[in-house]
Amino acid sequence: MNESVLLLSLASAVVIGTPILLAGLGEMMTEHSGVMNLGIEGMLLGGGVVGFWMSTQQASLPLAMAVGAVVGALFALIHAYLAVTLRVNQIVSGLALVVTGTGFASFVGSLNDSALIYSRPVSKFEPVFGEAMRDLPLVGPLVLGHDWVVYMSWVLVAVAAFWLFRTRAGLAVRAVGEDPATADTVGISVGLTRYVYTMIGGAGAGMGGTYLMAGIFSTYQHGISAGLGWIAFALVIFAGWRPWRALVAAYVFGALRNLGFSLQIVGVDIPPDVLNVFPFFLTIVALMIISARPAAARRFSAPSALSVPYSRETR
Amino acid sequence: MNLSLGSRRLTVESRPVASRTVRFLAPTFSVALAFVIGALILLATGQDPVLAYTEMIRKGFLGRLAITGTLIIATPLIFTGLAAVVAFRMKVWNIGAEGQFILGAVASSGVGLWVGDQVGGPAGIVLMLVAGALAGALFAALAALPRAYLNTDEVISTLMLNFVALGIMNYLIFSSFSFWRDPGRATFPVGKFVEDVLLLPRMVGRLHVGLIIALAFTVIIWWALRYTKWGFEVMVTGDSPRAALYSGMRVDRKILSVLMVSGALAGLGGGIEVGGVLGNLDPRALSLGVGFTGIVVAALARLSPFGVIPVAILVASFSNAAPGLQVLGIPSEIVILLEGILFLCIVAGEWFLRNAIRVERMAGPAGAEAPAS
Amino acid sequence: MAESVPEVPSGEAARLTGITKHFFGVAANEDVDFDLRWGEIHALLGENGAGKSTLCSVLAGLYHPDSGEIHLDGEPVDLSSPHQALDHGVGMVYQHFRLVDRFTVAENLTLGHPETGFFTSRRSLERQVGELGRRYGLEVSPQAAVWQLSVGEQQRVEILKLLYRGVRILILDEPTAVLTPQESQNLFHTLRALADDGQAIIFVTHKLDEVMAVADRVTVLRDGRKVGAMPTSEADPATLARMMVGRDLSVPERPRTAPGEPVLSIKGVTAEGDRGLEAIRDVEIEVRASQIVGVAGVAGNGQRELAEVVTGLRRPKRGQIIMGGVDITRSSTLDRIKLGLGFVPEDRMRTGMAGGLPLAANLALKAYRQPPLSRGPVLSKQAVEYRARTLEKQFDIRGVRGALPTSLLSGGNIQRAILARELSAQPRVLVAAAPTRGLDVAAIQAIRQLLIEEAEAGTAILMISEDLEEILDLSDEVIVLYEGQVMGRLPRDRADPDLLGMLMAGRTVDAA
Repeated sequence: MNESVLLLSLASAVVIGTPILLAGLGEMMTEHSGVMNLGIEGMLLGGGVVGFWMSTQQASLPLAMAVGAVVGALFALIHAYLAVTLRVNQIVSGLALVVTGTGFASFVGSLNDSALIYSRPVSKFEPVFGEAMRDLPLVGPLVLGHDWVVYMSWVLVAVAAFWLFRTRAGLAVRAVGEDPATADTVGISVGLTRYVYTMIGGAGAGMGGTYLMAGIFSTYQHGISAGLGWIAFALVIFAGWRPWRALVAAYVFGALRNLGFSLQIVGVDIPPDVLNVFPFFLTIVALMIISARPAAARRFSAPSALSVPYSRETR
Repeated sequence: MNLSLGSRRLTVESRPVASRTVRFLAPTFSVALAFVIGALILLATGQDPVLAYTEMIRKGFLGRLAITGTLIIATPLIFTGLAAVVAFRMKVWNIGAEGQFILGAVASSGVGLWVGDQVGGPAGIVLMLVAGALAGALFAALAALPRAYLNTDEVISTLMLNFVALGIMNYLIFSSFSFWRDPGRATFPVGKFVEDVLLLPRMVGRLHVGLIIALAFTVIIWWALRYTKWGFEVMVTGDSPRAALYSGMRVDRKILSVLMVSGALAGLGGGIEVGGVLGNLDPRALSLGVGFTGIVVAALARLSPFGVIPVAILVASFSNAAPGLQVLGIPSEIVILLEGILFLCIVAGEWFLRNAIRVERMAGPAGAEAPAS
Repeated sequence: MAESVPEVPSGEAARLTGITKHFFGVAANEDVDFDLRWGEIHALLGENGAGKSTLCSVLAGLYHPDSGEIHLDGEPVDLSSPHQALDHGVGMVYQHFRLVDRFTVAENLTLGHPETGFFTSRRSLERQVGELGRRYGLEVSPQAAVWQLSVGEQQRVEILKLLYRGVRILILDEPTAVLTPQESQNLFHTLRALADDGQAIIFVTHKLDEVMAVADRVTVLRDGRKVGAMPTSEADPATLARMMVGRDLSVPERPRTAPGEPVLSIKGVTAEGDRGLEAIRDVEIEVRASQIVGVAGVAGNGQRELAEVVTGLRRPKRGQIIMGGVDITRSSTLDRIKLGLGFVPEDRMRTGMAGGLPLAANLALKAYRQPPLSRGPVLSKQAVEYRARTLEKQFDIRGVRGALPTSLLSGGNIQRAILARELSAQPRVLVAAAPTRGLDVAAIQAIRQLLIEEAEAGTAILMISEDLEEILDLSDEVIVLYEGQVMGRLPRDRADPDLLGMLMAGRTVDAA
C-alpha cells in the first residue's frame, strides 16, 4: 500500500511539475537571450485565464492551450518593449507585469458575477495510452499514464535542448545573451532576437497557466497559481539554464508540492509549508555553491548579459 | 537612433537632465494614459468608467473613513518603498522586501507575545518594533553576506528568500502548534493576539501612529542619504564602485550596510503592521505582495524618499476603494489590473526623462538617408 | 616553417588613398596613403594616437572615412560594416577579442561563419579547423571553452575564426601587447606561414624589434599622417625610432629644488595582472621629495598595475612599498590616503570621478571624511559647496552648472578638478597616470604647470605617461618600463627621445 501511495504521488508530481516545466522552459529561452522576466506569475495567470475561458467555451483543449500561449506571449511583449526598446530596469518591469497579469486574471474571473469561477472545461485531458498500458507496473502510472500535454512538454524539452545547443539559431540566441556586442558584429539582430525569445517565454507561461486551470484543477480561482510562476523562475536557476536538467528539477519541485500528504500516510510528518520552501531553498543553496566555485560558475551560471540592456552607442 | 517619416526625421538622443516641465509632464501623461486604458477595458466589459473612477476617488480619498483607510494601507508600502529606495540608490537590487517584511512581522509578534503585559505599553511596543527591524536586517544579511564576499547575485537570493520567509510564517500558523498560533483554534488556525497594551496608539479612527513612524523614517532616510557620510558613500558607490575604491571606501561593507538597512526598514514595516493593524501573526493579511509593490512604488518615486509617500498613497487608495466598487457591481479586481497598467505606463514614461525626441526636416528627398543604427 | 627570405610578393591586395577621418573635429587620419601586397607582412608603426588603429578600422569596415578611397584587388569598394569587409575577405583581430567567453572554440567559429548549415555539425568543422591549425601552427582544441584558454590561444582562435571565414587580408591590432615573448614568437611563425601561402597581413605595433623581426615592409604614421614607408631590409631601428617619435622636443627650463629625502620607495615589487600573468616584475623605484620621476613605456607594459600596487588596489606578490618611512605594502587604500598619498588615475571618467554625480561631490571624494566637510557622521552640504566653489576658482575649473553630472565637463576641466581634489589634500606623494592624455594644448600646459609647482612645494611625484614629450619636459629622472620590468633609468640630462624610444621598444642600450 505504501508503495502505491508513493507511486501515485510521484505520478502526480509529474502532473503538477508540468506547468512549472512549461513556464520554466519558456523563461529559460528568454534568459538565454539576455532578458530576465520576473513576470512569469503574471503571464501564467493572464494567459491561463484566457485559455481556461476558451476551454469552457466549446473550444478544443489544444486550441485553448494555443490561445493561452498567445495571450501569454502578448503579456511578454509588453516586457520586451519596456526592457529591450525602452531599456527600463527589468526587475521593475517584470514586477509590474506580475501585478498586471494577476489583476487581469482576477478581473476576467470576476466578470459577470464571477461566471468563470463557476465554469468547468467542456472536455478533459484524457490519458493518451490505453488502460492495458497504463496498468503496467511502475512505467504504467509514471510514464504511460499521462495526457498529451505531459508528452508535449517532454518533446519541448528535447526541442529546446537541441535548438539551443545544436543549431545555429540556438548559437545565435546564446551569443546575444552572452555577448550582444560580439553577436552584433557578426550580423545578428540583438533586439529582434530578444523580442522573439521574450515572447516565447510568455507563451510557455501562458500554456502552463492554461494547463494548470483547464487540466489539473479544471477550475479557475483567484490566486490559483499559488506562486507557481516564482517556482518556474527558480527552476531556471536550479537547472543551470539547461533544458534536460529542468525536466528533472520540475518533477522534483512538483513532488515537493504534494509529497507532504503521501509522506504522512507512510508515517513521515513534514508539513507542506516546509516542503513548499524547498524549491527556493535548494535554489539558494545551488546558487551559492555555484558562485563559490568559479569552474562551476562558468558552466551553470546565468548568461553573462542577463538583464543588461544593449545599445550600440555604449558598446 | 533615427527614424525617417516622410520629409521629417525623428532623432532620439539621450539627455543628461530632463527639464522641470518634462519631469512633470511625463508621469502626468503616463497616469492619464493608464486611466484611459483602464476606461477602455471597463467599457469593453460593459462597465461605466466614469462611475468606477468617481467611486475610486470617493472611497479612496473623500471623507474621514476613506482617507484614514487609505493611509493605513499606505503605511507598509511606505516602508517597503523606502527599503527599495535605499538599496536601489546603490544599485544593489534587494527584491526581498516581501520576505523581510514578513520576518519582521514574525519577530515582532513573537516578542509581543513573549513580553505580554510585563513591561508596559511603550517599552513593549519599542521592543516589538526593534525586533521587527532586527529580523528584517538579519534576514537581508543572508543575501548580503554572499553578495559582498562571494559575489552571489543578490537579485536571485533576495527573491528566493521571500518564499522561505513565507514558508516560515505559514508553518508557524498553519502547520504547527507553535508559540505564535492560537491553541484554542484547531480547525481554522490563526495567530495568538498580543496584549492590547502592545498595540500602537491610534490617532484618528483606526489610523495608528505607524504612519507617523513611516513619515519620520522617510525624513531620516532622506537626511541620511543626503546629509551623512554614509549617504555620500552610498551615492558614490552607486555611481562608480571604482571611484569609491580609489577614494578609500570599503565597497563590501557598504553593500552589507545598505542591504541590512533596507531589510530593517522592511522588517520594521512588518512589525508596525502587526502592532498597528493586525495584533497577531496573520499570514493571509501579510502575504499580499507589499514588498513587491514597494519596489515598483520606489521606482515610480524615482528613488526619492519623499516621492514614495504620494505614490504609496495613490496605490493604497486603489486597494481601499476596491470593496466600494464591488458594491456598485463593478468587479473590485479592476483595481489590481489598473494598478498594474499604471505601473507599466509610468515605467515606460520614465524613458522620456532620459531621452529627447527631436523632429528635423530633412534636406534631401524622403528616405534618402538609411534609417540605420 | 620557412624562416628564409619569402618569395617576392606579387600583386596588390589593398590600396588606401587619401584617407582622412576626423573625430569631433580632431583628425585621426589626414590624407593617408597605404598599400598592401599579397604575400607580405606589412608593419604599421607609430606611437599611441598616431592613427594606426583608425586606419585599420577604416579598412576593416568599422569606420567610414570622411574622404579617400579603398581598392581591394584593384577594385574600388565601399566598406560600411565589419560584416561587409569580411565578405570582401578583410578581417581584423582587435585588441579586445570578439569572442564569446563561455562558448567553445567550435561554437565561436560557427557563430562567425554565415554559411555553416542550420545544424551545428562538429565533424566537418573539426576537420577543417584541424587542417588550418596544423598548416599554420594554430592548434587549439575545438571543444575547449574560450575562457579556459590562455590569451595566446584565444588570439589563435580569433585568427582561425577569420581564416575559417575565408579572410585573405588579415589585420592584427597590436597583437603582441597581450602576449608573452614565447607566444609572440609563435605568432610570428604563424604570420610568416600565412604570408608564404599568399595572404596579406597588416601588423600594427609600436615595438621596433617586432618590425625588424617579422615585417617585410613598414609604414610609419605620426600624428595621423604617413611619415614614410620602406622595406625593412632598408630600415634600421634608430631611423624608425626617429620617424616614429619625430618631433623636436624642446626642454623648457624649470626651477629645480634639490631633491630631498626619499618619500616613496618601491622595492622589488612583483604583481600579477588581471589575467594572472606577472604584469610587473622586480620593480625598483625611489621618489624623493620635490622630485618628479617619470615612468615611460608603451601602454600595457605594466603601468596600470604599478599604479594600482602603489594605491593599494592590487596586492603585490613580492616586494615592499615604503612611504615616508612606513611600510604600506599591506595597508588599505584609505590608510595610504591618510598617510598623504594622492592619485590622478588614468581613467578619468570612471575611476577619477563618479561621472554621474555633480562636481561638488567629486571634489569632496576624499576630504568628506574630516572637518569642515563633516563632523562625526554628518556631512555639511554648505561646506561641500563652499569648498567646491573655492577650488573651482583656485584651479580655474569652468563649465560647472550646479547639480549637473560631472561627465558633461570637458576633459581638461575634469582633469583640473581631479588635480584640485588631490592637491588640496596636500599629499606627500602624488601618483599621476597619463595626466594630460587627450587634452588640448592649453589644458596640457596648465596641468603640467600644476605638477611642476606641486613638486617645487616638496611633493614627491611619480608620473606614469606614454607621452615622451611630457616625460622629458617634467621628469627629473626617467624610468622605462618594458614588459613589466625596468628597462633602464636615466637622469633627465641623459634622456633623449632616440634613446628612450629604443628602450621603450625593448632594446637594451649599453649607455643606459
